[in-house]
Formats: sequence, C-alpha cells, structure tokens
Amino acid sequence: MSAIESSRVSRRRFLKQTGLTLAAAGAAPVISAPFVSTAMADTKTLTIVQWSHFVPAYDKWFDKFAKDWGDKNKISVTVDHIPVQDVAARAAAEASAGSGHDLFGWNGAGGAHLYRKFLVDVTSLVESVEKKYGKISGIGRQIGYNQDDKTWSAFPDFYINFPVMYRKSLWDEIGMKPETWDDVRVGGAKLKKKGNPVGISLAHSNDPNTTWRGLLWSYGGAVQDEQGKHVMLDSKETVEAVKFVTALYKEAMTGDVLSWNDSSNNQYIDSGVSSLIINPISAYRTAQQLNKKIADDIFVMKPPKGPKRQLMGGASEFYGVWKFAKNKEAAIEFLKYYADNWEEAFKASSGYNMPIFANIVPKPMPLLSNDPTSTPHDKLAVLQTSDEWSAVPGYPGPAWPATDEIYNDFVICDMMTKAATGAVSAEEAVKWASQQCESILDKWLHRT
Amino acid sequence: MGVPFLLAVYYSVSAYTIYDQSWRFVGLANFAQVVRNPVFLETLGNTFLFTFGSQFLGLILGKFGAFLLLRPFPGRGLVRALIVLPWVVPIALATVAWQWMFDSLYSVINWTMIALGIISRSEAPNWLGNPHLAMVCVIVVNAWRFFPFAIVIFLAGITAIPQDVIDAATVDGAGFWRRNYQIILPMILPIMTIGLIFGVVFTFTDLSVVFLLTNGGPVNATSVLGFEGFQVGIVSGDVSHGAAISLFMLPVLFFVVIGMLRFIRRREI
Repeated sequence: MSAIESSRVSRRRFLKQTGLTLAAAGAAPVISAPFVSTAMADTKTLTIVQWSHFVPAYDKWFDKFAKDWGDKNKISVTVDHIPVQDVAARAAAEASAGSGHDLFGWNGAGGAHLYRKFLVDVTSLVESVEKKYGKISGIGRQIGYNQDDKTWSAFPDFYINFPVMYRKSLWDEIGMKPETWDDVRVGGAKLKKKGNPVGISLAHSNDPNTTWRGLLWSYGGAVQDEQGKHVMLDSKETVEAVKFVTALYKEAMTGDVLSWNDSSNNQYIDSGVSSLIINPISAYRTAQQLNKKIADDIFVMKPPKGPKRQLMGGASEFYGVWKFAKNKEAAIEFLKYYADNWEEAFKASSGYNMPIFANIVPKPMPLLSNDPTSTPHDKLAVLQTSDEWSAVPGYPGPAWPATDEIYNDFVICDMMTKAATGAVSAEEAVKWASQQCESILDKWLHRT
Repeated sequence: MGVPFLLAVYYSVSAYTIYDQSWRFVGLANFAQVVRNPVFLETLGNTFLFTFGSQFLGLILGKFGAFLLLRPFPGRGLVRALIVLPWVVPIALATVAWQWMFDSLYSVINWTMIALGIISRSEAPNWLGNPHLAMVCVIVVNAWRFFPFAIVIFLAGITAIPQDVIDAATVDGAGFWRRNYQIILPMILPIMTIGLIFGVVFTFTDLSVVFLLTNGGPVNATSVLGFEGFQVGIVSGDVSHGAAISLFMLPVLFFVVIGMLRFIRRREI
C-alpha cells in the first residue's frame, strides 16, 4: 500500500473520527462545568480610573494597594491613569455612553455636582467614615455634599493646598517675610530689582484659577453668595483686589507669567530665579530632587493675609461610583478599605494629598510635622492645618456647575490679566467678569 | 455619517446638559445667548484668523517645499520621506516640543537670538504671553502640521503638468516667476483648491493645537470655536451651548466650501 493510499479517508473512518470528535466536544462542557463555573464566579472585576498623580510614586503605591485588595477579595482590579486635563472629557464620555469604569476619580473643578444624577448615593459610606475618622472639613463638604437633600454624591478623598513657597535667604536679605499680600508686593518689588521676581501665573491654567480666587476672597470679594444664587463679583472689594494684582504684576513680576502652564512656576523657583510662588508642595519636592541647595532655601508659609481674610484656593480629588457600574458593591467596599488605610496613601503622596477627615491622619502628621528629607525637619508643619485656609471654587457658597464653568472659562484669571496688562481699567475688568459670571449663573439656575 | 451633526442640532435647540439630560426644546435661545457674549465674537474672529492664516502660510511653505523636492539632489528620497513627519507625528508630542521652543524662560528661539547678539534678554519676545504673538505661534504650529500635506498636493499637481508645456514656455522666454504664476499655478489650481478645502475644514474644526499650546490664552487671544465648544460642552457639561457654539462652524464652512468648488468648476478647461 502506498503512502497516499494509507492516508486516504474512507467513509467509515471519517464517520468514526468525526463522531468521536463531536462526542468529545459535546462532553467537554459537562466534564469541565463545575471547574469553569467556580472560576467564573471567582473572577469579579473592579475598574478604577483616576488622574496620573503629580507624585508618580503615589500611582505605583495605589496600583499595588488596589491589586492587593483585589487579590484578598478575589476581585480582579484594574486601575487606569489618565492625564489630569482628560478627566472631564472622560467623565462626559462614560456618562453619555452609560458605561465605563466602576469607580471614577475626579480632580479639580467639576464632577460630583455635575454628574450627581449618574452617581450612587454614598451618604452612608461618607457618614460611617466620618464617625470613625472625625469631622469632614469645609473643603470636603464643598466637594461632594448636596445641600438641598443632605446627601453625598461622592466620597471626598483629599484636597491639594496652595501654600506660599518663598526663598528665605532672599527675603531675609531685604528684612521681610511675605505674611500679607502687601508684603508680597513690596518685598517682591525689591527682589525683582535684584533679579528674583514673584511668580504667580496670569495665563490659562489651574494654578492662576486657584491662586487669584484666594486673593479675591482675602480681599473680601467672591464670585457668588453663600446660597449660590447671586453673583457678588461687582463690588468695591473685587475692584481693590484687581487693582492690587495690577500693582503686583507691574512692580514684582515679569511678563513671563502671561504664558505659563501649571509647571512653569515650579521651574521658576526650582531654577533659582523666583523669590516666591504659591503652589502645592510638588514644586518643593521637585527642588529636593533637582537642586538640594535651592530646596533647603525654600520655606513654606500659610497664604498671605488680605485685608479681610487669609484664604487660598485648593484643588479637590473625589471618587464617584457610577450608577451604571458593573460592580457597585466592590467599589463601595474598596473605598471603605481605602479610608481605613488612608494614612498610607498620605505617606505615599509625600504629604501632597491632604486629609478631608479630621483624624484620619492623626496630628502631628507624619512627613509634615517631621520630614527627615527637609531642613529643618518641621519645615512643612504649617500644612497640617491647611484645611483652615483652603476652599474650592464657589466659596462662600457651594461648588456647582456654574462655578465650575466660571472656572473652566478662566473668567477670574482673565479679569486679573486684562487689568494687570493695562488692556482695561480695574473697574471695567470687574464689570466684564461680572457680566460673564451673571450669564453663566443665570443659565445654570434654569438648568439645575 | 450625519448622525453626529444631527445630534449637535438636536442638542443645540434644547436645554440638554450633563446634569439634566431631559430634552426640553428652547428654540434658538442658546444661539442668541452665545452671540450676545463678546468672548464668543472674539473667538469667532480668532477662528478665521487661525484657519486662513495657517492655511496661507502652509500653502506658501508647501509650494516652495514642492519646488525644492522636485529638483534632484543627493538624498532626495530620504528628505521626501522625512518631510511628512510633521503630518504623522502625534500632535500632543509635537506641541510639547513647540511649547518648549516658545517657553518664556527656556525658549530655544530666544536663546539662539540672544546668543547671536540679535536681541538682549530683556528684549526677548514673550511668544505665548503676548496676545498677537500667541496667535502667530498657534498659526505657525498649525501651518507646520499642514505643510507636508500641501507639499504632497503641490507635488502631485506639478508632476502632472506635461513637461513640453513648461519647455515651450521656457523657450518662449518665460522666467521662473512667469512660469510659476502664469503656467503652473493656473494648471494646478483645481487640485490646490481641493487641498485647501480639506485644510480649511480640518483647521476650522480643530482644537488640539490651541488646547495643548495656549489653552485659549492669554485672555482668550487664541481661543477658537472648537476649543470653546469643548470647554463649554464637555468640560463644563453644558452640552446644548457647546453644540450651539460648534454649529456656528457649519454655515461658514458651507459657504467657503461651496465658493471654492464653484471656483474650481469655473476654472476647469
């Protein structure tokens, strides 16, 4: 018999072989069913999305933390990190599609109040954490609390403070300390002549949006009233604040600040040029890695006092659980566990993530009260009470879609910049900004 | 194909927001509110300037780039391959590089000019801080993105012209400029206009360069319709106003495209 003949398939052989194959295929699910179904039941998933943290080590810690929790609970956890500027668009896409991640981490303006109807009510979770770890700060309440029905749309995770960071040796040389806004202007003018100007951005980004709001509040001005029903911007106090910024820009700053993004002021002080910036401590942490000499000379203070208040803007981070999430229970359970281990998160962020709950990181706080990498070790201690001088856009009222849009449209930044660059007078700049705010507030009052 | 457009129309005549997704008809109220805002009118003007400025610059660069690439020289194949880089490189990466070039502190352009003694540090231009210069910057970056496409269009057009037509003109005594403007340009005008239509449409609706380079600043000097629509509709969640802002592009683009196409038809021999 030739090889070709031996490989020929007879009808009988074909039927026999295909019959066996079909039988095996049919029997396979029956045989493997108990194992497969158990495995399927065990592989629950939890998906999380949040910004790429400014402290990269934090992301590494969080990813491992989430994975370890998943391993313990037989849940497959996926954490996606996206650039901070993509958060709003991603949230809109997920809400519109009605699908996406289970747990959504917002950063900055917008989120909990805008997406309220899409988010699971987390009141019981927040209240239980509050019972365990102490009172929620004012900034925390602004982030996720709904005044109208006393519910929480989001779990307030942390806020980012904006202290003053100044070069001590330079300010000592002129015998001043930047304690008030006027000190910043007067001392800044002297230091600018020496080649060390003040660096506060007047461009379109988060830093100026946050800092100039702080200045506005410190002068007694505000975008809206406590109820968030009326625009309060067109006031004597706001005009004074704008006039101050004009003077500060002309006397103590340079035109560079008109083109900055959020990393520019960090570079400005870390490179040894600037005498003062107002920024989260990421600028200081970067200096520690790049230029130890400069870092040792950078000291941290509360925000400058204004004529009426001592207050500064802050950025917020909060978690929402989508109503369309595939695994809401796991998301809530994860947040509970995360809250119980929040001190670890604080350490992983090098003290960048500031606590919302009074005792979740007991005082004296690690890293801030005694930071072995800082000289002196208590350099950052002032940040422990930053919840007393931090607020998010909307102050003294709630944060809501209108205040977010005013923030996203850079109205307050532009009001300051128009006047500072001499394009219009302070009064005209305030009138223009007030009209912008009026139309945005009026629009949202009819839509919420 | 028309679903996104119809959706935009659907949203623009409603009170639809991310906060409240119930559809309520409001007629043209959103458009009226948008037009009343002086910032929007500024944005509309910026969009025209950005679009036609970058297209004009892109066409000039494209035309002369094409002439250069027509001449034989060593490594021409490699240069032709590399010339498409600006067109294919991810815009986010390219814009970061441009941002460094225009940076107020570390601008390589300023550094070079200072090093060559052309300007002093105090005279260095604030590229992204001066409203007019910032607009020039976004135009330049967008033209840089567009010009490889323009080169391809011009190369296709010029190489399609019969060589004997060019030779005849040369024999008759036509110099470079006369050949260029009286022979080549009229003959490649249809394909050039098609390229321009593409360029105008894509630039008019684009927000990436502005979003990445200036965020619409300083003081809305570089804000364009695409960016404004995105900020209001997506970031702030007011979808209906965002859609209304975006739809302002439609009549403009419609008339521009119709005008260009009619122009081509008249030119056809």
